[in-house]
Amino acid sequence: MSLIKCEQLSKSYGSKQALDNVSIELKSGSPIALVGPNGAGKTTLFSLLCGYLLPSSGSVTIMGEKPGSQGLLGKVSSLPQDATLDPNLNLISQFILFGTLQGLSAKAARDEGQRVLTLVGLADVIEQKPQSLSHGMSKRASIAQALIGSPQLVLLDEPTAGLDPANAKVVRDLVKSLSANITFVISSHNLDELEKLCDQVIYLDKGKLGREVSIQDNLTDEYITVSMQTCDKAQFINDIEALNGVNSVTQRQDDEFLIHYNADDVNDLEIQLFQLFSRNSWRYRAILKGRSLEDKLFS
Amino acid sequence: MEPHTTPSMVKNTLILAKFELKKLLFNPRGLISLFAFALVWLLILLYPVRSASSFLLTEEFKLLISAAFGESSINELFKWEVAEMAIFWIAALYLFPLFSIFVSADQFSSDKHRGTFRFLTLRTGRDSIFFGRFTGHMLIQSLLLILTILATVILAISRDMSLLLPALTSGALVFINVFIILLPYTAMMAILSLYANTARQATIYAILFWAISAIIIAIINSQLPSLAELLQWVLPGAQLSMMINTQGLGSLAYAPIPLIQAAVLLFLGRNYMKRSSL
Repeated sequence: MSLIKCEQLSKSYGSKQALDNVSIELKSGSPIALVGPNGAGKTTLFSLLCGYLLPSSGSVTIMGEKPGSQGLLGKVSSLPQDATLDPNLNLISQFILFGTLQGLSAKAARDEGQRVLTLVGLADVIEQKPQSLSHGMSKRASIAQALIGSPQLVLLDEPTAGLDPANAKVVRDLVKSLSANITFVISSHNLDELEKLCDQVIYLDKGKLGREVSIQDNLTDEYITVSMQTCDKAQFINDIEALNGVNSVTQRQDDEFLIHYNADDVNDLEIQLFQLFSRNSWRYRAILKGRSLEDKLFS
Repeated sequence: MEPHTTPSMVKNTLILAKFELKKLLFNPRGLISLFAFALVWLLILLYPVRSASSFLLTEEFKLLISAAFGESSINELFKWEVAEMAIFWIAALYLFPLFSIFVSADQFSSDKHRGTFRFLTLRTGRDSIFFGRFTGHMLIQSLLLILTILATVILAISRDMSLLLPALTSGALVFINVFIILLPYTAMMAILSLYANTARQATIYAILFWAISAIIIAIINSQLPSLAELLQWVLPGAQLSMMINTQGLGSLAYAPIPLIQAAVLLFLGRNYMKRSSL
């Protein structure tokens, strides 16, 4: 059974079409990324999946049930964008409420609240009110509430926006460590982050579904992306294009090159590249099998 | 972690209702509101209730009232065994609905505005949230009502200790009557606070609703008096003026009006909650 199934899903706010005839089917497993420019309809899609909004037309089901239905309670959780916890109540009392609503006893709900707040590094502030927390801490508290109980699907809308690099890494590591049991759908503008976390990428633009990209395709992709620290760019392109099996070398950014090759003609291209770097005393920053997500989506 | 029990709609409704009461009692903001309410009622009890009840006991006052308003207009008022409870009844009939508008103005507005509901709707159904909040606000108002009735009982027995039993009996009946009166007010505020972004806005909508409805009914009354007579029962509080001259079990004769109003308003509110965007 599909985890998420949207069929000709549309949502409009007055005359503005936020989602236009979107049909997708997603299966549970590795984290799924949802990307797109501002106003592309990502948050609207999340809100429809969570049942916060009703579709204007089309249908959406999660695990075969309508969003917000009794059967999904506790199985789907989310970090909604712009939603804040009650500023007048401390974190743990709100988490106990969430836990008890999910069927836990008061004691178990307290333990669960402490567990999830510890996961996001907020064990020391459980007795504090949200208004006394920084933006980053509030965001982490909101992520923690999404992990209460045993959700099967967690929708995270911009989970690392506004977090410092160290805490963004904590969140990424958390998603990685939990993704064996939970399917995450993550909306973010940080493509590097999504590349590290997700296997499947869905691209939305102006409310329409763009391309769907699989990061795992990189393994069979006949591309290598190289970021160089020091090199003679013209010579770099000429020398690599001269290698057997290489079709083309394109400079993507100032120091990033995309090498397209024919896998049937060459099976040691990486070794040849390293030998070339060594001969010319060039230093590389990164080598990626395949293309970067940015390149796949926007080129 | 697996849940110990499968959450049911009724269980979650009660959890949310208890949480509303807890927010009032274990939160500095809630306690300040409670203190302000207690202070207002202390003044009402110490001055109007205590002094008016002593008037009510005098024969001259009875004659004056009868002469001014007629023999049967408020004759039931003099039949109350506990004079303090009679004055409290009149004050409570009008003040508690007014308090209800303010106390229950934030059943949903703030949470909806800041998105806090989004944390709840994935854990419990919208019915539980709607009826849980409504029940919670009725619990809060019941607590306030019980406190003021108990204070009135204390005031009465401080005058005459033998009034304890009649004061408690009539106090219990006053509680039941006022509780029923408050149901449609709280249900109305549930709908308005779902629509409004803040508690203040919900209160303004309530004032506008009652004022505009009264004007419309007055206009209809000039053209179609029979229709206006029917429409006046739609408004919460329509029966209040008639309830002044009732007491005890007799007041319950008017209970069907607020009960039907509350049922209709809760039905409308529940459907609005189901369809609204969070």
